[in-house]
Amino acid sequence: MTLRDPGNVTAPSRTLWGDAWRRLRKNKFAIAGLVWIVFIVAMTLSADLWVPATFGDPLAINTAPGASLAPPSLEHPFGTDKLGRDVFSRVVYGARVSLTVGVLAVSISLAIGLLLGSLSGYYGKFIDTIVMRSADVFFAFPYILFAIALIAVLGPSYRNVFIAIGILGWPSIARVFRSSILSVKENEYVDAARAMGASDLRIMVRHIMPNAIAPIIVYGTMSVGGAIITEAALSFLGMGVQPPTPSWGLMLSDAKSLMFAAPWLTIWPGFAILTTVLSFVLMGDGLRDALDVKMKD
Amino acid sequence: MSALLEVNGLATHFTTRDGVVKAVDGVSFRLDAGKTLAVVGESGSGKSVTALSIMRLVAKPRGNIVAGEVLFKGDDLLKMDDARVRDLRGDRIAMIFQDPMTSLNPVFRVGRQIGESLMLHKGMSRKEAFERAIELLDMVGIPNPRDRARDYPHQFSGGMRQRAMIAMALACDPDILIADEPTTALDVTIQAQILELMMEMQARTGAAIIMITHDLGVVADLADDVMVMYAGKQVEYGPSDAIFYDPFHPYTWGLLDSLPRHDVDEKGVLHPITGQPPSLINVPPGCAFHPRCPFAQEVCETDVPPALAVTDAHVSACHFSTDPEFRRGVAVACAVPEGVESA
Repeated sequence: MTLRDPGNVTAPSRTLWGDAWRRLRKNKFAIAGLVWIVFIVAMTLSADLWVPATFGDPLAINTAPGASLAPPSLEHPFGTDKLGRDVFSRVVYGARVSLTVGVLAVSISLAIGLLLGSLSGYYGKFIDTIVMRSADVFFAFPYILFAIALIAVLGPSYRNVFIAIGILGWPSIARVFRSSILSVKENEYVDAARAMGASDLRIMVRHIMPNAIAPIIVYGTMSVGGAIITEAALSFLGMGVQPPTPSWGLMLSDAKSLMFAAPWLTIWPGFAILTTVLSFVLMGDGLRDALDVKMKD
Repeated sequence: MSALLEVNGLATHFTTRDGVVKAVDGVSFRLDAGKTLAVVGESGSGKSVTALSIMRLVAKPRGNIVAGEVLFKGDDLLKMDDARVRDLRGDRIAMIFQDPMTSLNPVFRVGRQIGESLMLHKGMSRKEAFERAIELLDMVGIPNPRDRARDYPHQFSGGMRQRAMIAMALACDPDILIADEPTTALDVTIQAQILELMMEMQARTGAAIIMITHDLGVVADLADDVMVMYAGKQVEYGPSDAIFYDPFHPYTWGLLDSLPRHDVDEKGVLHPITGQPPSLINVPPGCAFHPRCPFAQEVCETDVPPALAVTDAHVSACHFSTDPEFRRGVAVACAVPEGVESA
């Protein structure tokens, strides 16, 4: 162990992902985002075990006098809505909808975007023209209106919300991945792989994609936040998740006429949307710095 | 006996918006097993494209090999189907790239990268390939090869990366090793080590080497044959001794004259070749070198010089290569350095 270069003294980690994690750890905002996301995920995953028992079923309507629009109390820490449902419980279960929609929508975008983006970037020419011009068509429509139009065709439902958001998300992913591939493709190690006798598929999958994926991880993370916002917006407009399923956007929509009479109805779902989306964006930002090889200490 | 590699009249052109670039225009040479050929020339003279053409790695659709044949053990590489060429690449003909900093894939461990061609061509398992990679790293002089094989390229220094590249190229025991300026990106102290290593590997494996370089000093000791290129054309080709001690082409004279020397005291003055290499889109008519040639005459401006055989194995593409009067005149002119400018 005599000929170690100095880089290894400060860098005990031996993998690229280990290095990235080490850099990410130093970013306080990204870690705050990560902690918040982990917290929300833990809450939603464990919700069935304790939330209904402690604070009441998010769907349980309570028409007893004084039960509706109750301000925050020990029994109902976030208060109750006009149907007497526990707001805390609804916010927690709303996280389930938001995160599921966010992750599934981005997964759909990634599946389509990565496939088309890689074909476009690697083969160029004709395929590139078709893919990129279709992407341009998607970009030419106002995003929210396009989403509403898609929902109008598919019918408003939980499933159709993430399908619509997912379909709308692919052009950005494809574009980011394509440009990333175009730049990675020019690297000498790709020529070296070809000179080694590797086939097109192998070069693409083994040599180009792993090097081109970093921007996608960053963009994908941020997109989850974007998808959550879009879900909230669609639900707010009545084109998303349908009542009585708790969704943050839907809760805001229900509460908008009571904004001043019962502010807790808007504050908590709003706070949940804000912090969750912000966390994903901060995480994405942190990942961008952590995965940037040029910033290697 | 037929040559290991025989290249005849190779021409590779690139189509660009400004016109056709004749990057390689009529290059011929042969390479026997275990020998070293040095390809020498300025930047843009077509050295690298020659190498890429042999590997059939010229980027289509803009780059096309338009003429010639590349006979590997008698089979024309240019006529083979893609799958067969892929089987040869990395297995029988391997290449070392110029910049070791960028030619290793940053996301793979070094050992894994060296083992890849073994998995591709020799059907080794990942584990076997990795073990072999450790042996190869050891062979090219990497200390602690078992540990270093698990390192990522960014943990290697430039010289070590080039050693790793050499290990990678030698993994399948190739017949031909093409090295495209393997030492250009390295420190001078490392350069000598790398060249020495390549020669050592050649002695051990018997691979033939095509060494591409713009540095004549690099090839003097180690090349058996030298090919000098200028503007995509082969200007002089012959045994190393003949090129260095008895060159026939004015461009080769210029190249040799522009080398820094420590055996002649001329107050450290270098003799560069005046002017710039021509654009490959508008190659000067006649001899491409005539605008820069101190001995150019009328015929040089109009007629493309043929490759004239000055001895059995030595050709020079200058109109006057076989003209003893011309060489005698130059010898006189060179004795009086001032006279060269007015000639």
